[in-house]
Amino acid sequence: MLSRLSAAIRILLVIAAPGSTGGPLFEVKVPQGIDFTLQNSPTPQKHLIETMPGGVALLDYNNDGLLDIFFVNGGRLTSPLPTPDDFGRHDPRYWNRLYRQNKDGSFTDVTEQAGLANAGDGNYGMGVAVGDYDNDGYPDLYVTSYGKNILYHNNGDGTFTDVTAKAGVGGGGWSVSAGFFDYDNDGKLDLFVTRYMQWDTKHSKDCGGNFHTYCPPEEFPAVTNILYHNNGDGTFTDVSQRSGIAAKKGRALGVAFADYDGDGFTDIFVANDGMQQYLFHNNGNGTFTEVGLEAGAALSEDGRRLSGMGVVFQDYDNDGRPDIMVTELPREIYGVYHNDGGGSFSYRSLEAGLGVLSSGSSGWGIGLEDFDNDGWKDLFVAQGHVLDNVEHIDPSLHYLELPLLAINHNGRFERADSGITAPVAGRGSAFGDLNNDGWEDVVMTSLGGHPQVLFNNGGKTGGKAHWLVISLRGTRSNRDGFGARVQVNGQTRYATSAGSYLSASDKRLHFGLGAAETAKVEVVWPSGIHQTLNEVHANQFLEVREPEKQKQ
Amino acid sequence: MIMIRAQLLLLLSLAAHTLSPEAAQHMQAGITADKQRQFDIAIAEFQKVTELDPAFEDGFTSLGQAYMEKRDFAAAIAPLKHALEVNPDSAPAHQLLGYALLVQGFAAEAIPHLARAQDKTALGIAQIQTGQLPEAVANLQAALAAHPNDPDILYYLGRASGLLSKQSIDTLLASYPDSPRAHQAMGENYFVLRQMPEAEKEYRDALRLRPDLPEVHLELGEVYAGAFQWAKAEEEFRAQAKLQPGNAEAVYRLGAALLEQGKVHDARAELSRANKLMPDMPETLYSLGKAASLDGDAVAAEKEWTKLLSIEKDSPLAAQAHFGLAGLYRKQGKIAAAQHEMQEFQRLQGGSNPPPAPGKEESPH
Repeated sequence: MLSRLSAAIRILLVIAAPGSTGGPLFEVKVPQGIDFTLQNSPTPQKHLIETMPGGVALLDYNNDGLLDIFFVNGGRLTSPLPTPDDFGRHDPRYWNRLYRQNKDGSFTDVTEQAGLANAGDGNYGMGVAVGDYDNDGYPDLYVTSYGKNILYHNNGDGTFTDVTAKAGVGGGGWSVSAGFFDYDNDGKLDLFVTRYMQWDTKHSKDCGGNFHTYCPPEEFPAVTNILYHNNGDGTFTDVSQRSGIAAKKGRALGVAFADYDGDGFTDIFVANDGMQQYLFHNNGNGTFTEVGLEAGAALSEDGRRLSGMGVVFQDYDNDGRPDIMVTELPREIYGVYHNDGGGSFSYRSLEAGLGVLSSGSSGWGIGLEDFDNDGWKDLFVAQGHVLDNVEHIDPSLHYLELPLLAINHNGRFERADSGITAPVAGRGSAFGDLNNDGWEDVVMTSLGGHPQVLFNNGGKTGGKAHWLVISLRGTRSNRDGFGARVQVNGQTRYATSAGSYLSASDKRLHFGLGAAETAKVEVVWPSGIHQTLNEVHANQFLEVREPEKQKQ
Repeated sequence: MIMIRAQLLLLLSLAAHTLSPEAAQHMQAGITADKQRQFDIAIAEFQKVTELDPAFEDGFTSLGQAYMEKRDFAAAIAPLKHALEVNPDSAPAHQLLGYALLVQGFAAEAIPHLARAQDKTALGIAQIQTGQLPEAVANLQAALAAHPNDPDILYYLGRASGLLSKQSIDTLLASYPDSPRAHQAMGENYFVLRQMPEAEKEYRDALRLRPDLPEVHLELGEVYAGAFQWAKAEEEFRAQAKLQPGNAEAVYRLGAALLEQGKVHDARAELSRANKLMPDMPETLYSLGKAASLDGDAVAAEKEWTKLLSIEKDSPLAAQAHFGLAGLYRKQGKIAAAQHEMQEFQRLQGGSNPPPAPGKEESPH
């Protein structure tokens, strides 16, 4: 009886953790030293690229234990557009920016000294991927653009070198989200790059008649995505054709990775705009088969196409299988493709509560993170319509929106106060523990504005829930263990920095433990090695090193 | 047609009327020129006929018609009026004069002539212009009965009906501006204009004055549904369904609002009720299947969607039902059946991109 009572009290304590206090979960502030403005340069000509940036990455580029922030900038657009393309990226206003976090929580702009200043005048910036492609222990950056993409190798001394030409990963056309993952489990991170459509400044146009709006995606031809295989010598090979990725043209905006069918090979979900979504099943032999329709992860439950933008590929209902959540435009509902097992998904947006939460909003960056540390991953979505004049067309829709924060109650989401009070044109969003207090924070970009940095108040407001943050250290697998399945007290995460929209999140894996003071940690590494750690103490940053070989 | 008649009349006139040979010659020359679309020559010849024989009605009628064919409607009016002075019962002259006056914007003057000619289409159009809307609607309905699906008549009938409706509403608003019905009408106007806050206010005012006003809860619910405020929409649809338990639409919309909120059990109950009130509406059957599927009741979902497919084979709802069945069978491991349903779905999509979400068709992006 006594133990049942104390258990009840513990549950009450967990329930009384920050999200349910009625106050905002986050404190929203621009940390000292961050002065970035996302320059998208909107024009009356409505060039489509200007409503699509920009990405943000949370990474510890100098391995000092503190997350740093990298922002991708758009560029300057003039009328008429110059030939050849010139987006004025030499001008510091249009630089991408790297902010190093200092020990006191302030940030210092280290863009120039890090060698990340001018991304090239012919490139209009979009997104960023983070991964240690050469396993040297320092995270590298891949920046996507309309124009040429850039791979920046982290030299480990606070500087980066543009190695795009040598690596052979320049892409071309209009690249959007990208992500590092190891599709062939060879211990080296490969690279997937989404491309939006066959659009260029010479064939730009506006739509909407007298309203003059950005054109819908159907106005431009679909294109293929790119898969680069890491050769292990600092170069990559474009395997888009032979892997089967290029067999499907799309209008891709988001990408996320997870092994949805448990066959040991990481699969790819691509969020396409205005058409069916793509689920590329990894056949385990270097090829992929697109199975979205057959798997039930391509359309809405009514068989309607979706305006897929951002995507997250994680387990929201703690059944151990990675689910897919896709952000969309209004009059659609953010897609929840529940992984039913057996390679099959079912569309569960309404059951998850997203009909109420999302049918009037436009979603971009998305994250499933346990913000209240109760053991259930919550939802954050950066929001804001594509059209900057949408109110003139439909007053019920809004260009500027508050982000969506929704707390997960046993697989059903309910709206909560994010703490942001002024609506913005939200786009990219990245997730991580900026101040290492065990409570997940958020950084969100907004068009034409400053980034929103949301510091999780959980610890400060008396949240009693426990947590565990895990860093993977691969030995046989890729160094950061991307693709590993990590289970902690019945929760599952797939190690990745990819997902969301245009953005890259903290590679560390965060788990809320609720009342539990210890945890059982189980890791299935991409190498196939299974590892279990028992009685792991809560409230710590734990590095889990991959065993050299499987224990018998 | 009228020219053929003129030719016949010429023959009769030559026999009955003492038309001089010279006038008859000019008359024949005018008819020939008119046939050859040489309107200036025809006009000159008919002019000579009227000068040679001012009592010959058809000379004036033919002259008026030639002017009209030349699209000189103003010049046509005088000879047509003269024709009617000679023969006040000439239906062709009345019809042509009515047309000429109507084209010139003299609708009120045209109406008696069109009425005499019994040209209900032109008469209805003229009556729209003079504001005789009930009469216009009646005449255009009669014209449509004689010429079903004529696009011009359909257009003018729609316009006349719309204006008549507006006229009634304007009278209501002018005479009883603070009445519940006036607020309801204003709400409907704002709803059409997609000015939802204003529509909401007007509907609220209507309900404040008369809480049981028919249809207002339903319309207000639609405002909320359009703004994705499903809880409020549910409240209004529920109120409507309570006021009118036999209103199948209200009950269906209540079920749909519940479904949007993921309240699957309640949605099923209401949708079943709607299906009893108005059995086998495809929309209801589809939603019933969807709610059952979400509720984990695969048997019921299959039953509803199969029923829908027995009613509709090729509609967008049929495609959705096939898609739903494909998912259902896939989960049950009935791979062949799932593939068949998916093929049917894709066939109905015409092998093209599936449709966008409802309401997205018109909005860019």
